[in-house]
Amino acid sequence: MIEIKNLHANVNGKEILRGINLTVKAGEVHAIMGPNGSGKSTLAQVLSGHPAYEVTQGSVTFEGQDLLDMEPEVRAHAGVFLAFQYPVEIPGVSNSYFLKAGLNEIRKSRGEEELDSMQFLKMLKEKMKIVEMDASFINRPVNEGFSGGEKKRNEILQMAVLEPKLAILDETDSGLDIDALKIVSAGVNKLKTPQNATIVVTHYQRLLNYIVPDFVHVLVKGRIVKSGGKELAMELEANGYDFIREEMLQSA
Amino acid sequence: MTHEMNHYFTDFQKFQNNGAAKSPAWVNDLRKSALADFEQKGFPTTKQEDWKYTNVAPIAKAQFAYSSKAGMVDPEFVRSLLVEGIDQFVITFVNGHLSPEHSTMEGLPAGVVVKNLIEAYITHNNLVEEHLTKYVQYQKNTFTALNTAFINDGVFVHVSAGVEVTKPIALLFISTVNNGEQTASHIRNLIVAEDGAIVNFLHNFASVEGVNTNLTNVVTEIIAKKNSIVELVKVQRESESAFHVENLYVHQHRESNVHIFSLAVGGAIARNDMSVIIDGESTECNLNGLYITSGEQLIDHHTFIHHIHPNCPSHELFKGILFDKSRAVFNGKVYVEPEAQKTDSKQTNRNLLLSDDAIVDTKPELEIFADDVKCTHGAAVGGMNETHSFYLKTRGISEGSARGILTVGFAAEATQKIRHEALRRHVDGIVVDHLRKKFGTGNLPDIVHG
Repeated sequence: MIEIKNLHANVNGKEILRGINLTVKAGEVHAIMGPNGSGKSTLAQVLSGHPAYEVTQGSVTFEGQDLLDMEPEVRAHAGVFLAFQYPVEIPGVSNSYFLKAGLNEIRKSRGEEELDSMQFLKMLKEKMKIVEMDASFINRPVNEGFSGGEKKRNEILQMAVLEPKLAILDETDSGLDIDALKIVSAGVNKLKTPQNATIVVTHYQRLLNYIVPDFVHVLVKGRIVKSGGKELAMELEANGYDFIREEMLQSA
Repeated sequence: MTHEMNHYFTDFQKFQNNGAAKSPAWVNDLRKSALADFEQKGFPTTKQEDWKYTNVAPIAKAQFAYSSKAGMVDPEFVRSLLVEGIDQFVITFVNGHLSPEHSTMEGLPAGVVVKNLIEAYITHNNLVEEHLTKYVQYQKNTFTALNTAFINDGVFVHVSAGVEVTKPIALLFISTVNNGEQTASHIRNLIVAEDGAIVNFLHNFASVEGVNTNLTNVVTEIIAKKNSIVELVKVQRESESAFHVENLYVHQHRESNVHIFSLAVGGAIARNDMSVIIDGESTECNLNGLYITSGEQLIDHHTFIHHIHPNCPSHELFKGILFDKSRAVFNGKVYVEPEAQKTDSKQTNRNLLLSDDAIVDTKPELEIFADDVKCTHGAAVGGMNETHSFYLKTRGISEGSARGILTVGFAAEATQKIRHEALRRHVDGIVVDHLRKKFGTGNLPDIVHG
């Protein structure tokens, strides 16, 4: 589904990603773990096309197309979704308007008919059950006054509505208590199909108890230094990121 | 005095001959004294600090004739200015003169007076004389002096102690097509809320569609007595070729609560001076506003909050959206006297520039002489927030739609400050309609509030 080759990226002239290689196939869940400042969130932002990041080398192919050549909204139309670590608040604009605007632009880009308000609302209410969101959130301004947990649930609701092929979850567990974490993870799991894929970016292993990855990659200083199965996450949890650094030193 | 001002003196004579001299003697004395002040002060120039960024030469040069009568206005147009879906009291002025056929005062509660000033001189002379011009300093402001020299009509509102006016009072000020003859309307409003009174206003300034290069020069005085609550929502949507100046003077007594909101989208040059004297303890003052400018419009807000007594919060949020080559000015002065301890004053001015050619001049002016106070201010001028815009795009929303949606959101943060729900809805509707026109797309969301 997505093939990342030797990806280098800068922000403000500083190199953050220094040669990422990663292939994700349909039906897979990949976890990207790493210490603070390793470039995890940068990778998520670069894949979604944040204009502040400059790709200096490498390529990203999504379903056979050059992803880096696309504007962020075109990536969304193609099926890439980013669940934000810090979702943006949009006062004055209802959640339903926001979601409907996005969904209909995506549908239009695919030559599908736009949904009218009735059809959309019916679908939205179904999707809200996935993340156990109250109907009152339909007409509330986007993320405004939402708690940390509500914001993250709203991100997963957006994912449920937009039905991406590739979902990138950026530190979705940060700021969540255990109950919210369970609801959010259960939502992500319900949305998993053999046709879509998920990249979970996280610092802690905790989230991976609920969203079980097929592959775990450890990112240090802008490079994937170790890959393995879900047991790698357990190992990191037990020993911290230091043991990776030691391994790197020994092999150096 | 410059020759540009000559016509005001000829007009003053006409005004006197046309019946103004029939007003009570104290009113006429006031006019004469104000005319002398106007003559002495002259129109401000950009050399004066308060007018540094707003050049009123086009107003000074124009030969505005005194508007001597109301004009005809389509009732449909009047209806379009009212608050949708609720009962309200309505008093309408056309070119500065009362228009009884477009006014509805039926069912005013006991203890509430809403009438035009000319009538109030007769029926409530003592009350009017007690308050009129007692809070303005016309000696210091040319436009207030000019207004006072031509003081004639406008609205007088008196709400007796303990009375709550449950329906909002809509004051409509309509300016008609001038067909080349430039006229000036000097509108004078006096609002007195006695102890514990509660009242809400919509002030709607609008022009009938067509050529309109008139001057609307307004002075409004609000007296909020002890424990009263006054909310005033001003909507200024005059023609984009018109001139609008308002000097608003608010005098707050202890424990009173005043909420002012200014929506300004009209005028070639529009200047709003809002001055609040906090003359009592535990008083709350809220001044908020939103201005949207386009073309070559210039909209200026100058606020002044004078903290004299302790334990008073004052909050200001002014936001601006600028298109094209338009300009906006915000100047927020807060003066805290030594006795005004525990003052909690917060001022924010944020501007969204939607064009590289738009200009904002923003200036906080804090003068604090008490030592135990919390006074903050912040000003921001910038384009669309990249991260916000990116968030929308990752949901498939195009660049153009994202700009529109985020601009509506930016505006909503200001209108949220309006307390009266129906008035807030009314303003939200005008804002979104206006933005739809400016963006040239119907595809903008209606505003919702959390």
